[in-house]
Amino acid sequence: MTAPAGIQLSGLTKTFHGRGKLVEALRDVTLTCPPGSFTALIGPSGCGKSTVLRASLGLEPLDAGTVEIGGQPPERATAGGITGVAFQDAGLLPWRTVARNIALPLEVLGRDTGPAAGRIRDLIALVGLKGYEDALPGELSGGMRQRVAIARALVSEPRVLFLDEPFGALDQILRRQMNIELQRIWAETGVTTLLVTHGIDEAVFLADRVAVMQAAPGRIIDIVEIDLPRPREPTLFSAPHFHDLCDRIAGVLHGR
Amino acid sequence: MGANLRRWLAPVLLLAAWELVGRFDLVASGALPALSEILVRLWVDRADYPAHVTATLFASGAGFVIGNLLAVLAGLFFVMSRTAERLFRGVNIAIFALPPIAIAPILTLTLEGMTPRIVLAALGVYFVTMQATVTGLSQYDTRAADIVRAYGGGRGAVLRLVQIRGAVPAILSGFRVAAPNAVLGAILAEFGGGGRFGLGAYLLGSLGRGEPDRLWGIGLVATVIAGLSYGVFALISRRMLGASISLSLNPAAPPGVLADRSSPVLSVGAILMPFAVWWVILWALNVPDMLGKTPWGVVDYLFLADSAPTAQSRLLAALAETLPITLVGMAAGLAFAFALAVAGRLTPAFTRAFLPVALVTQTMPLVALTPLLVLLLGRGTAVTLWITISVTFFPAYVMIAQGIAQVPRAALELPRAYGATGWREMRLVTLPASVPWLFAAVRLTAPRALLGVMIAEWLATGRGLGNLLNQSRGYLDFGMIWTVAAVSVILSVILYLAAQWTERAVLRRMGMVGRS
Repeated sequence: MTAPAGIQLSGLTKTFHGRGKLVEALRDVTLTCPPGSFTALIGPSGCGKSTVLRASLGLEPLDAGTVEIGGQPPERATAGGITGVAFQDAGLLPWRTVARNIALPLEVLGRDTGPAAGRIRDLIALVGLKGYEDALPGELSGGMRQRVAIARALVSEPRVLFLDEPFGALDQILRRQMNIELQRIWAETGVTTLLVTHGIDEAVFLADRVAVMQAAPGRIIDIVEIDLPRPREPTLFSAPHFHDLCDRIAGVLHGR
Repeated sequence: MGANLRRWLAPVLLLAAWELVGRFDLVASGALPALSEILVRLWVDRADYPAHVTATLFASGAGFVIGNLLAVLAGLFFVMSRTAERLFRGVNIAIFALPPIAIAPILTLTLEGMTPRIVLAALGVYFVTMQATVTGLSQYDTRAADIVRAYGGGRGAVLRLVQIRGAVPAILSGFRVAAPNAVLGAILAEFGGGGRFGLGAYLLGSLGRGEPDRLWGIGLVATVIAGLSYGVFALISRRMLGASISLSLNPAAPPGVLADRSSPVLSVGAILMPFAVWWVILWALNVPDMLGKTPWGVVDYLFLADSAPTAQSRLLAALAETLPITLVGMAAGLAFAFALAVAGRLTPAFTRAFLPVALVTQTMPLVALTPLLVLLLGRGTAVTLWITISVTFFPAYVMIAQGIAQVPRAALELPRAYGATGWREMRLVTLPASVPWLFAAVRLTAPRALLGVMIAEWLATGRGLGNLLNQSRGYLDFGMIWTVAAVSVILSVILYLAAQWTERAVLRRMGMVGRS
């Protein structure tokens, strides 16, 4: 894998008209994710955190501000295959098998899927779906589909990974497992990661730094550094310092 | 076992009743022969059928393939360009609304051999499949599309990887509904266009001979062909998709109801486009002026030429006969459909027994049905009314029943929790909730009502627009043929638009957004 690239968001601003009044979806959102870092974006629903992620990928037009991924504008970076993404909903194509769904980004990028067959198999094993290569999404549970989406996000060997509440639909136990799994993948690949979540413990467990957003207008109100040592073990979830950090973020979220 | 028996009981009883009624000549002194008599006659005539059936199959098959091909391509084009979709909206509505019987004479005038039959069959399938394609392509999974776009995929990639494959079920259901339309179109053109072979030609040749058993035989064969064509595609889509079957002959998903802010230029373009297409086709086919009237030619015939006053008065007289019965027939068809849908909710057993019969009358091509109804009902207003009801009620019923079926269970449970049942529950929740569907049904049936009336007038009563068309054909009055065709298409479009306008106004007042 090539060297990771960073993410630079500068002054993202977006407003739209909703029933006669102006809604400020984003106001001057600025965030720097150094290469190889793990950043979590947390906030109440409707604060624009998903909009930030979509804008970073060039999916959402902006009124002002710039996005740079590895020094490139998002359109160039995504089409160049630097990025990987998983959304809250897996968004699998129902007529494609697990393996062919995972191969989808390669097809979009115009890469040959043949040589990637081995890696796709490895990715399926990595997310714990060995034996389901030829299953259709309709035959999988919600958690399994989500894991296919994670594998798909990694198939293009991205240098920057965007995750929009990818574990939101999973139960608590599976969510913890996936968190540990994600940390391992991140540590192995060194991929720069931006994770949108509304789980405080998930953010603290995974991230180097948690950016806290607030709604109306959508903006970043604080950035909390997470100084917990790595690798982080599951026992961390019950450590006092972990809870202090969670409480601190909860305090910021509730405006205390 | 018991349920199975009950399901078969109603059709068996019905067939038995038919046999008895026919054997003893109980209806209109033998106009309804017994099924066994019809089958015997079919056997006697067996040497006649292969040539006719082959001709009809060829024309409807070719029309089906060509029409669907164009429809799918047009659907793709309209989804890719909203501007094109708006510009062609007028053409699309005109094709949906045009009564095939009105343009059959024109097609036989301007085209040769099998071509008119193929064109009419293709016209019959175009709208249904185009609409299904647009719907299928538009209702894709936006989350999957986001994934494609997140890897730098453009609209082409989204279309190729997400939309097209996702639209296959919708397109297949379009094919299924379109298949009987192709058969109907081909038979109509055979009927109105001369030629030796084809079930329509056979029917025309047998009309004057007063042999009900043969007419019924032809009708039966046409019904079986139309029904089989529906069945084949129902089977294919079931095989391919493993989806549940639906008893749906819904002739078309209604075009979008939601008004979008359309620029005046586009609206004017949409209105002018059908006329432009008309002009271009005449020009491209190099039809002689005498035969092929351009839009201007029709205006000239109707307003400027020396014979204009006579033409006008004949047209107005015909309209005065056709229009009222169209509206009455449409209202009656809708009322019948509504009553049936409500009855279906209140007494499901009755509906289950009745629906197969209704389905048969729908796959039975209209032209084949009409002579039979004439035998049963004579040549008065009653026959026009019945034909109009029979062409309108089924699509309307399917629409309304769908509307009633989609009322959420949760909404029904509230009145039930307070003890409301049956009619009271329907009045409070189900009926208001299905109003949008009722209006969609009105919109769908308006053009069909005019088609039904015109066919009845042509074949049975000898009045109104249908008769004027038939007469003009006999007199080679090309100006009048084109005028009647144009007027009936415009009338259909006006009926359609009036229904749509009322729909929007009512839904807005009720605070219900139209289904898009």
